[in-house]
This record gives sequence, structure tokens and C-alpha cells, in this order.
Amino acid sequence: MAIRVQLDRVLVERRMSLTELADRVGVTVANLSILKTGKARAVRFSTLDALCRELECQPGDLLAHEPGPPEAFADDAE
Amino acid sequence: MRLPRLRSTSKPDGAPGSRFLASVRGLGPGSVSSVLKVALDVAYVLLALITGVLLLLLIAAVFIPLDNLNVTVSGDSGGRQLPLTRMLLLFGLGAVTAYFGGFMLILRSLRRIFRTLTVGDPFHPHNVRRLRQIGLTLAVVTGGVWLAQGFVAARLAPGVMEPQGIGELLTPVFSVLIVFVLAEVFREGARLRRESELTI
Repeated sequence: MAIRVQLDRVLVERRMSLTELADRVGVTVANLSILKTGKARAVRFSTLDALCRELECQPGDLLAHEPGPPEAFADDAE
Repeated sequence: MRLPRLRSTSKPDGAPGSRFLASVRGLGPGSVSSVLKVALDVAYVLLALITGVLLLLLIAAVFIPLDNLNVTVSGDSGGRQLPLTRMLLLFGLGAVTAYFGGFMLILRSLRRIFRTLTVGDPFHPHNVRRLRQIGLTLAVVTGGVWLAQGFVAARLAPGVMEPQGIGELLTPVFSVLIVFVLAEVFREGARLRRESELTI
């Protein structure tokens, strides 16, 4: 996906583990892992708000856009 | 990953009927779907037994001597003797076995669908394939019945059975189409479920 989540970098800068962030934000580690590995399709504003609050950063610090061809929408329903 | 539990968001309005319907749980353990699943389990076992017995009869029919055997067929114009040929017996038993076997396949898919309903996960991705299988089997079974009746009427026992017209296929065709449309609805549901799972 053209949108890259830079949660790893911010976590290293804040010296915070994924488990600790999950506890603070109220999101499961599994879901944060999906976000971190770039598998997530969408992020709720409420989640983004909680992440920015706990990591003391801006949404732009967490997300980056990498120009490239648009990804075809994978219908992985089956 | 834990799936979000489905909850009915509809509020009961003034009508007593809709209040009753709102109080009846359709999904999850102890719901209507779990009762239906038990009924489907029982029907599946019975159908499996019947199909097994028919299959044994079909195998046995190959070795049964059929000399001087007649069956009496009664119709509107009165009774009539018909020689029971091996061809007729094998065709009849084979057709009935295939009919019950087809419905057993349908019940098998239905049971699996209802298993997902009882755990509150109706839009499981596999349900799309199961519904398509049901539609396909239903089409084959009903089409097969129509063809078999036509074959019996034309060749095996002419004059005993009236060949079915195209109009008889109307209801099965509608049923099959509805099942295929439902499969598409479930495909969309499964897609939304996947989207929801990957929304953090």
C-alpha cells in the first residue's frame, strides 16, 4: 500500500514496546501488530487520536505516503 | 483474532409481533439457528442412512434375477401391468439414490453454514462457497429429476407418466437463482467483515 505506517520508528524513538502502547491505547497487541506491519486497511480517527496522545506525536509522524501505482483492491473475501 | 459479536441494532417498536421477533435471538448459542442446526443434524443422519440403504439396494439390484417380474402401475385410467426390467430398476434406484445423495450434500453445506451461525459469525468467507455449492447441487438435483421424469415418460415406461413441461422448472430455477443471489450477498458481507477486521 502507498501509505506506510511508521509505528516502529516512533516506538524506538519513544523507547516504548508494542505491548505497553497497546495497554495505553486500549487496542490489542494483535491489532497494533497488523497496523505496524502495514496489513491494516484503515485506521479509525479514535485510534489515531489515542496513538498520537500516548506517543506525543502528530499523525504525520506515524504515516507516510510512498508514491507508486495504486494497489488493486484485493477481494479476499473467499 | 476475536471476532466482534453481532448484535441486533433494531429497537422493538410498538407492534407486539415485532417486539416478539426482536426478543427472539437468531444467531449465537441457544438461538433459533442452534435449534435449526440440531434439526439439520438429525435430517442429515437420516438422509445419510437412507442414501446408504439405497446404495446397497442399487448394488444388490445388479445381481437380483428379474425374470417374470411385473409391477402394477395405477393411473387415472386404471391399473396396468408393466414388466420390471433390470434397466428400469437400476435407473429408478440410481435416480432415487442420486436424489437423496444430492439432498444430503445440500444438508451437509447447510449444517456447516448453521454451525457458523450458532457461533455468531454468519459472514464467514467459507459460507459463500457453501451457498454456491447448495445452489449448484439444487440445480443439478432438480434438473436431474426433470430429465429423469422425461426419460421415464418417453422411454422406460411410456404412457405411465406424463412428461413434465418447462413450466415445472420455473420454481426450481427461481430457488436456485435466489440461492446464488444470497451467495453474492454473503460474499459482500464477508468482504465487509474482512474490511472491518483490518480496520484498527
